[in-house]
Amino acid sequence: MIIINFVVSVLLIFLGLYCVCTRKNFIKIVMGLGIVDYGVNLFIVSVGFNDGGTAPIYALSDLTNGAASHFFVDPVPQALTLTSIVIGACVQAMALSFVIMLYKRYQTINADEIRGLHG
Amino acid sequence: MMYAHFPVIAVMGLFLGAFLVEIFGTKNKYIRNTIVMIFVLLAAVLTFALIKPVMVNGEIITYWMGSWEPVEGWAIGIGYEVDALGLFFGLFCAATFVLSAIYSFRYMDSDDHLGHYYTLFLMLCGGVLGLVFTGDLFNMFIMVEIITFASAALAAFRNYKFGALEAGFKYLVIGSVGSSMILFGVALIYLQTHTLNIAQIGNEMAGNLTPVTILALGLLIMGFSVKAFIFPFHTPVVDSYATAPAPISMMFSGTVNKIGVLGLIRVLYQMFRVMDKEAMQMTLVVIGMATMFIAVTCALAQHRLKRLLAYHSISQVGYVIMAIGLATPLGVTGGLFHAMNHTVFKGLLFLCAGAVFYAAGTTNMDKLGGLSKKMPLTCACFIVGAFAISGIPPFNGFASKWMIYLAAYNKGMETGNFLYIAATIVAVVTSVMTLASFIKVTQTVFFGQLKATNDYIRDVPLSMRIPMWIGSALCIFLGVGYNFVNKTILNPAMNAAFSAERYFDVMMGDPAAASAGTNYTINLSVWNPILWLVLFAIVFAAVAIAIITTKKTVGKVMLSGSDNQDPDGKYAVFFSGERSQYSHVVGSDMFWGFRKNFSKYFDVFHKFHNGNVNDYATYCVVGGIIITIIVFIFVR
Repeated sequence: MIIINFVVSVLLIFLGLYCVCTRKNFIKIVMGLGIVDYGVNLFIVSVGFNDGGTAPIYALSDLTNGAASHFFVDPVPQALTLTSIVIGACVQAMALSFVIMLYKRYQTINADEIRGLHG
Repeated sequence: MMYAHFPVIAVMGLFLGAFLVEIFGTKNKYIRNTIVMIFVLLAAVLTFALIKPVMVNGEIITYWMGSWEPVEGWAIGIGYEVDALGLFFGLFCAATFVLSAIYSFRYMDSDDHLGHYYTLFLMLCGGVLGLVFTGDLFNMFIMVEIITFASAALAAFRNYKFGALEAGFKYLVIGSVGSSMILFGVALIYLQTHTLNIAQIGNEMAGNLTPVTILALGLLIMGFSVKAFIFPFHTPVVDSYATAPAPISMMFSGTVNKIGVLGLIRVLYQMFRVMDKEAMQMTLVVIGMATMFIAVTCALAQHRLKRLLAYHSISQVGYVIMAIGLATPLGVTGGLFHAMNHTVFKGLLFLCAGAVFYAAGTTNMDKLGGLSKKMPLTCACFIVGAFAISGIPPFNGFASKWMIYLAAYNKGMETGNFLYIAATIVAVVTSVMTLASFIKVTQTVFFGQLKATNDYIRDVPLSMRIPMWIGSALCIFLGVGYNFVNKTILNPAMNAAFSAERYFDVMMGDPAAASAGTNYTINLSVWNPILWLVLFAIVFAAVAIAIITTKKTVGKVMLSGSDNQDPDGKYAVFFSGERSQYSHVVGSDMFWGFRKNFSKYFDVFHKFHNGNVNDYATYCVVGGIIITIIVFIFVR
């Protein structure tokens, strides 16, 4: 548990959402989505972190003889973060390919001008 | 215990099929269609084979990936758990896959890059079925992301169509904001409970809510609301419904928004178990009321058939959310039944809209008319679907809507809370407006005068008609045989929603010693003749009062701002009331007067759906913040 990590991750999430909500440029919107993802990833890694912990790799004798050596970093959040990073990269790749196609079609990537569907 | 492998084989088969299509099916269409059909049918058969053990015998099937079974009551691996609730959603989702695939073969025939289309299609199917069967929260998030990708790509698949690309982009942006919030909620829950298994989370958090888990609750409700397309998160989805190919619109309304509903039920009933709190019930009822009413009024102003159907789809999900929010056995039964019925009749309507597009090349209602002469069978199917969605007996929409009205009314009488009575009234009014809107659609698209330019139209081929026939038959069967459906699948599913302890016991502990769970039974009184008499008496009284109190103006419609009268009533039906004499209103603007009188209201929502992705994201974030604040203040 590291307080500064939590504060920064929540800040990143809100920064990203602010970016998605206010920036008109589609590429900046995609960047905002990325920032939200990074904030969430930082949060998940921080959830499992134990200061001074070791990697969770033990021989059987370590587990049976003493209590002090059991202090390890939770590996599950790290696995989740890896998955989440991959997904975040996919989101951005796909969103950017949408932006390329939109630019070819509309000759602009301004959110105010690309709103043919409304009402 | 051979059954235990069925759910995982069904899900894996769909993903395997997605890659096989990409490898072998890009060139030859027969190989491609065969692969798609094999895996979709496999998923459907395996899902339907689970009816006997899960629904009839009342088992809960568990499957641990890689045999990582729980140790001392702690889940280590990823578990699949098929209870009656999940299977109920799985059944109609699997049926939708099959119908949608059959329809796609012919409907998409003239497009190119169909290998990619079916890859995405099977990915979407696999994601939906995986989310329905999984018992692991993070796995749920992965499936949500797969569904978001596949839906966004499929919504933009016909990217030569106007607006398809921007619809896909908007869906992707809002969908990923929702998914990120789900992931944030999952992380918060892991922080508190150190587990990701839904059953175990439910057990750890029962009656033990901390501020951190309350925040997670708000975020998860928001995330799954984005997937269920609830107001105010529905904005980008309207565009996606309208631009996606018809079988994909059917998948959106039939499966994608249903998994949002399932996610909400899992979160509220099984993980947090907060539905016994009155504030939570009222929140859901209010959200449901807002969704159904706002969406249906927006639908009245639409000129494009698929966009109109999209708003109706959102409106009907409002009924489901409201019924789930009632948290009574009858309410939940009605909600689940309506979710299933919505899949059937809305799928049918989207397929009919697709048939119109296939035959006429447009879904703009101003350019259509008189199609019943050219495509009579499609017209018949559309009318069945329109009656079903408007809640006219004996079709299926009536049975479930009646259950929801009764549940809301009973709840209002029991608690004395005016909100539930208001909810009943809003539900009935919404149903009436749905009927009005579908009268307009049927009149403008299928009846009236055939345009001379549309003379070449022929009815659609057989392979596209078969799914529509199956849909129509299901509409009638579910409406007439609601008692049978209730006994076989609805009642177990409803009891599963209330039996979170049993879910935990079977998943973690000794299945033999599992608690029995609830055993509510519903006595359906859909055909209660006294209630019918009362209803008809009220309607006749209202009509009589209207006739007596209004002056006789039949055939003498006044023009605003002039003394001209319409002498013989010839134009009375489609008369605009504009200053210029006898100016016609096109059939698709039949409710011109209604729109004119409430123009301020319609203006607000026309500006609300302004097509700007920033504004849509803002509604999403503001909605999420409001839900979180409500949950924080009232649910603790």
